Amino acid sequence: MNLKALDIVLADDDIDDCIFFKQALDELQIPTHLTTMSDGEKLMEYLMDKTTLIPDMLFLDLNMPRKNGFECLAEIKINQKLNQLPVVVFSTFFEQETVNRLYENGAQYFIRKPSGFSQYKNTIQQLVTFISQGNTPEPTMETFVFKIQDGLKI
Amino acid sequence: MTKRKESVEHVLKVAQAELLLQRKENKKLALDLGIANKKLALLDKDKSKRAAELIIANIELAFQEDEKRKRAKELGLANKELVFQNKEKGKRAEELAVANKELAFQDTEKENRAAELVIANKELLFQNKEKESRALELGIANKELVFQNKEKESRAAELIIANKELVFQNKEKGDRAAELVIANKELAFQNEEKEKRAAELVIANKELLAFTYISSHDLQEPLRKIQTFVTIILQDENINLSESNKYNFKRMQLAAGRMQQLIDDLLAFSRISTAERKFEKTELKLIMDEVRAELKDVIQEKKATIEADELGHAYIVPFQFRQLMYNLISNALKFSNPEVPSRILIKSEIQLGSKFNNKKLSAKKQYCHISVQDNGIGFESRFSERIFEVFQKLHGKELYVGTGIGLAIVKKIVENHNGFITATSELNKGATFDIYIPTET
Repeated sequence: MNLKALDIVLADDDIDDCIFFKQALDELQIPTHLTTMSDGEKLMEYLMDKTTLIPDMLFLDLNMPRKNGFECLAEIKINQKLNQLPVVVFSTFFEQETVNRLYENGAQYFIRKPSGFSQYKNTIQQLVTFISQGNTPEPTMETFVFKIQDGLKI
Repeated sequence: MTKRKESVEHVLKVAQAELLLQRKENKKLALDLGIANKKLALLDKDKSKRAAELIIANIELAFQEDEKRKRAKELGLANKELVFQNKEKGKRAEELAVANKELAFQDTEKENRAAELVIANKELLFQNKEKESRALELGIANKELVFQNKEKESRAAELIIANKELVFQNKEKGDRAAELVIANKELAFQNEEKEKRAAELVIANKELLAFTYISSHDLQEPLRKIQTFVTIILQDENINLSESNKYNFKRMQLAAGRMQQLIDDLLAFSRISTAERKFEKTELKLIMDEVRAELKDVIQEKKATIEADELGHAYIVPFQFRQLMYNLISNALKFSNPEVPSRILIKSEIQLGSKFNNKKLSAKKQYCHISVQDNGIGFESRFSERIFEVFQKLHGKELYVGTGIGLAIVKKIVENHNGFITATSELNKGATFDIYIPTET
């Protein structure tokens, strides 16, 4: 359908997670192009670079060296060029306070990294499909924490 | 009245006596004339001539007598007139007497009055003088009052301004007081809240420490089992496993190893707060020797030299300080520049706070300054605070293994010693950690 591959950026310092993410994308029907950044500082340098085209979506880990996910999100949302970029925050921990803070700071979705690999892949795949179809409305607190829909075929 | 009549009668008597005298005179005169006549008749013959002359003289005298009678008659009239006049004069005198008496009375009155007036006049004069001197005094007093008045007016003007100012200030103070009352209430409320919160925190902290300690111990158990099972599978099924799953099992071992390290570090971190603190005067060289012995292998591997000749003593908790030095030196070794042999310089000195370039120190307090300097990769100066926070790392875990707890432990130990720690560095120019610990606890 889409001739142009989806431009997806992943910022995560965990190599295992990066591999899982890449595997999830590779199984998708939609063509994707993944760029990974191992810390927040590298991510922001990449996004701010004039030669960088604004990606279709960003998956952001919270706990990263040098610059954490909160700082990156804040910088993205005050940046004229980047503030429309859909940001999906994903973290190993679910903490309501953290979720509230991210919601207020303008993230599009929050996902908790599932421990099962098939669930992990499913979540990533559904979210990528969802966002690629233009489902990026102003999030509500109900829709902010993304939950996989069982019947959905990718 | 009687008096007056008497005087009038007296006047009349005088007049009558006068008239009688005159008559007597007249008779005497007639008598004289008769004598003279007889003498003449006697001398008649001798003196016939003379008689004729005498007759003439006689006639003459008769004429004179007539004249005199006429005159007497006139005198009588004049007398009557005089009597009348006398009467009139009597009346008049009477009136005058009355008037005189009245005048005399008035005169006396006037004299009395005059005397009174004289006295009153004197009194007035005296009063006048008194008043004059009083007026003079009042004049002076008046001038004084005028001056005072002016002074008071200018003072009043000043006071009006001052008053306005005070009113303004008063209002300001009133407002401020009202604000302060509110702020005070707010503070009292906050204080209460904070006290409650502090009490809660004390409990929460105790619970947390207990939780960290116990869970760290208990977490070790299943972790150890995972590691054991992974080793069994890798050994027994090595031939049957695909390359990718061999890789997965190795990643699993690594993840389990990292968890082991995390638990160990968290345990160390929680122990710093719970463990008993006993300050001792300690030779820093002894601690350094122990740390050096512990890190012997890494030091050899990195071909590192540690210079720690200028070390004195410090009042410290020895086992905590050993941990501190261990963490700092192992960090220096970990972040060494692979192209240059690692060189670590450790020094200590005791000086007044004012001698050191650190604003947090009290100028008059004595501190032991310990510095750990390396020639490693260093870090950007903007991270000099962040590196002391728990779980904060500047590098990915694949590049430099670590949990991000080491320097948090260092900072906590320094704070347990009521000291300060700073990190100074530039990228690729080594790093220096400066620790200041009071010499008295």
